[in-house]
Amino acid sequence: MSSHREAPEISKDPVADSTDVYAFVSPDAPSTVTLIANYIPLQGPAGGPNFYEFGDDVLYEIHIDNNGDGHADISYQFTFHTTVRDPDTFLYNVGPIESLGSTNWNRVQTYDVAVVRGGSWHGLGSGLPCPPCNIGPLSTPDYGSLAAAAVNTLGGGIKVFAGQRAEGFYVDLGAIFDLGDLRPFENLHAQYGLGAFTGPAAGVNATNHLNVHSIAIQVPISALTISGHPTIGVWTTASRQRVRLWDADNGENVNSGPYHQVSRLGNPLVNEVLIPLGKKDLWNSLPPSDDKLFASYVTAPGLAGLLPALYPGVFPNLAAQVASGKPRADLEAILLTGIPAGLIAGFTNLTGSVLADMLRLNTSIPATPADKQSIYGLLGGDLAGFPNGRRVTDDVVAIELRAIAGVTYPLVNKSFTPDAAASKLTDGLTPASVSSSYLNSFPYLGVPYSGFDNPS
Amino acid sequence: MPSQDAKRAARAERGLSRRSVLQGAATAGAAGLAVTAFGAAAASPALAATSSSTAGSAAAAHEEAGHSDPIVVHVRNARTGDIEVFSGTSQTRLRDKDLAARIARAAR
Repeated sequence: MSSHREAPEISKDPVADSTDVYAFVSPDAPSTVTLIANYIPLQGPAGGPNFYEFGDDVLYEIHIDNNGDGHADISYQFTFHTTVRDPDTFLYNVGPIESLGSTNWNRVQTYDVAVVRGGSWHGLGSGLPCPPCNIGPLSTPDYGSLAAAAVNTLGGGIKVFAGQRAEGFYVDLGAIFDLGDLRPFENLHAQYGLGAFTGPAAGVNATNHLNVHSIAIQVPISALTISGHPTIGVWTTASRQRVRLWDADNGENVNSGPYHQVSRLGNPLVNEVLIPLGKKDLWNSLPPSDDKLFASYVTAPGLAGLLPALYPGVFPNLAAQVASGKPRADLEAILLTGIPAGLIAGFTNLTGSVLADMLRLNTSIPATPADKQSIYGLLGGDLAGFPNGRRVTDDVVAIELRAIAGVTYPLVNKSFTPDAAASKLTDGLTPASVSSSYLNSFPYLGVPYSGFDNPS
Repeated sequence: MPSQDAKRAARAERGLSRRSVLQGAATAGAAGLAVTAFGAAAASPALAATSSSTAGSAAAAHEEAGHSDPIVVHVRNARTGDIEVFSGTSQTRLRDKDLAARIARAAR
């Protein structure tokens, strides 16, 4: 979750496994949008001696659809290059790394950034430095400054960063994947007659003290939108060449052939929770424009049927809705088309009739000041939060749980009354469940946890 | 230390003759894989490409792939001669029963 190890094949390929996508109007640079794509899930900080890094053989992209057809109009491409300065030592670093140019740093990764727009490829930056991983007080004594130096300013008012960050997505993985347990309500769980829980409990953030690798880019809104269409659709993909062959003579993989997509992520939890197991890797390989193939899994989500079964008597109205067989047009709007005008006062992020899983951001809605934000986004009356794009602090687990439980169904069916529990659903976590504080400026995700301070 | 790209380039050069030996496996009626470092021009002129593809925007970033890249031949079906040829970021599909049979023999 939200897309960590979500499909059988991609779970075996962590460097190409996208975990989260964020898109929001930058609160401290309101004429820009910040796009973040995270990869390499659930990194233990003490991952030495070969600390985590992007795949040199993976093409990472962040795509923008600005005309609502589910196809990329703009794609930012990121490719990585790793250099080993001294192959005769086993060490990642041979002394403190106090600057990005430190010769103590033995395994260095840089990257190139390009944009494909209208089929034309343009390089934006080359040989840009990634920071090292956060190791500890001896190896990376001032990590915050070191990583800050890896924020690069390119032409056209673009900022980029690529490197390790603290995981900002908070979720109680341990409970949720134990047959849909939500600890704050676990006394209401059917428990299969096992009597495992006697009362409610506090949520546990399974991703706390873990890291990810982030690709972040901040771009002027004017460079992403077209006239009259302030809403953009955003998603990320990772692609590998068709052929990978182990060259035993040289001890490395040989890659050949065209790139094919192996990972995709737009809205959180769609592939993770809505798409069935047998189609998850297929979903990962296709563009959003093909998502009509999967629309039935959105409009009749399996989880909506499970909630009344897992929590007997708690969701009678949801159970009746599921039994009616009526498609969930509210979920289709939230996840596949955007929300049309007239359903929520002063808001729309509709991109058109094409069914496509994209994170839709209406860029004309300004960022909400920090002290007025709701982590429940639109459900909390905050028009600048998920599912209008996604901010790093948004509680997408609670928002999507509540939506699937029926909270948003009255938007399209006024006669439906959500169950009282639906608007209270949560796994019990908040942004405070993330130990490394979010940043107030680009790249917004917190300083990664060091191996020294988080050894297990 | 040379960069990864420089290392790859050096390996590609020294591998030209050594890798002229087909590697991999191809069995009649089953998909197989072969790698060779023949230059693209070394491919038989009799081979008729039936299709080729690159991957959208991904290809745009990698059009500079040179002929020193390894060539990977995938015999999808030796009986029908259905073969895929990969080089750089390109893929060509062709049908050549004779070539497929030769590769299959070499793999035994």
